[in-house]
Amino acid sequence: MEGKTKKPLVEYLSDAQVERIHEKSLGILENTGIQVDHEEGLKALEEAGAKVDYQAQRARIPRGLVTRCLETVPEKFTLAARNPEKDCPLVRGGRPYSRNGGGADFTIDLETGKFRPLLLADVRSYFRLMDALDGISFIAPVFGHDMPVAGRDILMLREAFAHTDKPIHLRAFTGETLKYMFEMAAIVAGGKEQLKERPIVSLLEAPISPLKFLDVTVDALWLCGEYGIPLDVCVMPISGGTGPMTMAGNIQLFNTEFLGGVVISQLAHPGAPLQYAARPMAMDMRTGFSLAGSVELGIMATAGAQMAHYYNVPISLHGPWSDSMTHDGQSMLERTYLTLMAALAGANVLVGAGMMQQSLVISHEQLVIDDEINRIAFRTVEGFEIDEERLAAEAIARVGPGGNFLADPHTMKFLRGERYVPSLLYRNSREAWEESGSKTFVERAREKARAILREHEPNPLPEDVSRDLDDLVSDALRSLEK
Amino acid sequence: MSNILERMREDIYNGNVDEVAAATQKALDEGMSAQEILNNGLVGGMDVVGRDFKAGILFIPEVLLCAKTMHAGLEVLRPLLAESDVLSLGKIVIGTMAGDLHDIGKNLVGMMLQGAGFEIVDLGTDVSPEKFVEAVREGANLVGMSALLTTTMPGMKTTIEALTEAGLRDHVKVIIGGAPVTAGFAKDIGADAYAADAASAVDVARGLVA
Repeated sequence: MEGKTKKPLVEYLSDAQVERIHEKSLGILENTGIQVDHEEGLKALEEAGAKVDYQAQRARIPRGLVTRCLETVPEKFTLAARNPEKDCPLVRGGRPYSRNGGGADFTIDLETGKFRPLLLADVRSYFRLMDALDGISFIAPVFGHDMPVAGRDILMLREAFAHTDKPIHLRAFTGETLKYMFEMAAIVAGGKEQLKERPIVSLLEAPISPLKFLDVTVDALWLCGEYGIPLDVCVMPISGGTGPMTMAGNIQLFNTEFLGGVVISQLAHPGAPLQYAARPMAMDMRTGFSLAGSVELGIMATAGAQMAHYYNVPISLHGPWSDSMTHDGQSMLERTYLTLMAALAGANVLVGAGMMQQSLVISHEQLVIDDEINRIAFRTVEGFEIDEERLAAEAIARVGPGGNFLADPHTMKFLRGERYVPSLLYRNSREAWEESGSKTFVERAREKARAILREHEPNPLPEDVSRDLDDLVSDALRSLEK
Repeated sequence: MSNILERMREDIYNGNVDEVAAATQKALDEGMSAQEILNNGLVGGMDVVGRDFKAGILFIPEVLLCAKTMHAGLEVLRPLLAESDVLSLGKIVIGTMAGDLHDIGKNLVGMMLQGAGFEIVDLGTDVSPEKFVEAVREGANLVGMSALLTTTMPGMKTTIEALTEAGLRDHVKVIIGGAPVTAGFAKDIGADAYAADAASAVDVARGLVA
């Protein structure tokens, strides 16, 4: 009876429905199979018992193989940080973490409010801002237009290491650059074995819906296994376009694709850490656009969390995300809805902070706002303590009918710690608000972003590590130019 | 206006493929001219479809089905019409840029253009400038390029330059699109047009061949 409240959990699927989806996924893998554009991958699948049509690059995977591969997927792992205090252990029932939405290369300028291409200077300030915000647990890449195209992913990682000691999430453009990035991570971690022990980077790879695994994806799955790097198997069919129109069908498809990724990974590297990254999308059937902020997305992703719980693997879902073009009410509505849904679905990672217009645009002030939304979501799923003292019967007796609790010792004892303390929400009088310039929520976020950027200095890398990294990056860029 | 053509327009709107083919034959049997059936029945039907699509009443898959229905009627008329009357609006070579594997948008544009009467040569994803040039050389009057990644957008410029170099630039109109692509970028790289979504791609392509 004493202790924490139970963890709130939103579920759509009954146990029987979860099993039905799993069974059907096994059937689809066995009868329809997956396309694997990777000769070695097909060979490995064939040797493990899959029926392979090399001409069509199709592997039909028997259910026994899927079940066997599921058994070796770890149920938990830690996204390690250069600073161990910022580690993110991903475990079922544990607290959620968050990262920004990665991949964007446009921005709404913090000073002018104008939409424009993202530049290296923005990438740096964005990383620095994320480093300072507690509601952003780890960092995903964004890219500057003025960075060279060949090796842009490598340069991004170099910048990330310089500007944060939080865990770093990677995006790789080729298998070759990925290998360089793992070598960079090994330098910072202190060696390849140390990196395996404490992986300070993680990766995302996505099959192409429906049911297609590209050669780069297979390479990445295997390289992650080799280096012990945690990998998000990111399944994102667009309902009505690259996935079925029905929510059930889209869930069925992404679950099948996740299992396909599990098989390819675990075949080569049993025990390789994988995260179920359910990123279902929905096509707007009027325009063809892939929607980021739809209500169906929240529903389908929640069902995805249930499938991940069934397989006992960590789950990452869309958090703050939106179709909106700017920091308006639509943006706040969509991102708050998705973030709370994901947290209440039991997600280990909430993804998207700072990103707008699907995955194209990032914004510093939106990042600061999403820090607040994330922390509210963290607080929501944390629940609260219940025990004799907190139930406060004694204090209620002491104060008695008609009194007040302001000066009671019980209030003093629990004054701090019970409440979430917001950083951006205005809670004072109209008079005080007008006196301080009648600033809106977004204006306050902008000022906070500027203040952090004026002051915050990230924890620097040791000089020798910096030097070694620079040497490796120069070598890599030279080799890529050839 | 004839009753049978009015029904035909409704059948197109409702995607009744068999009914439209049969009605087209019936109209011919009753002595109507192929040209009249085409203009007032088939094309007339698609005009209503286009209007309701723009108004947000019809959805993309419905429009695709309507187009398929219209084509069923057109097939019946084809032998009776002068070549110039049924010639496709044009042949468009489409593809996603080299290094880019995102193709749902490009596929959608292809289906919409086909529905509108264009002939489509789909080069798929990860398409190099050379492949575009080769396909244009085999005959086309439009090129449609798509990109989702900013890093693959420069391929659009390279392709236009390759077309110029091959002496083919004047033979084709180039239309570009994709999430990060803008009208300004289209202008900068010397494309003829930009389309923001699948529906406007059809309008823009029609405008370019008009």
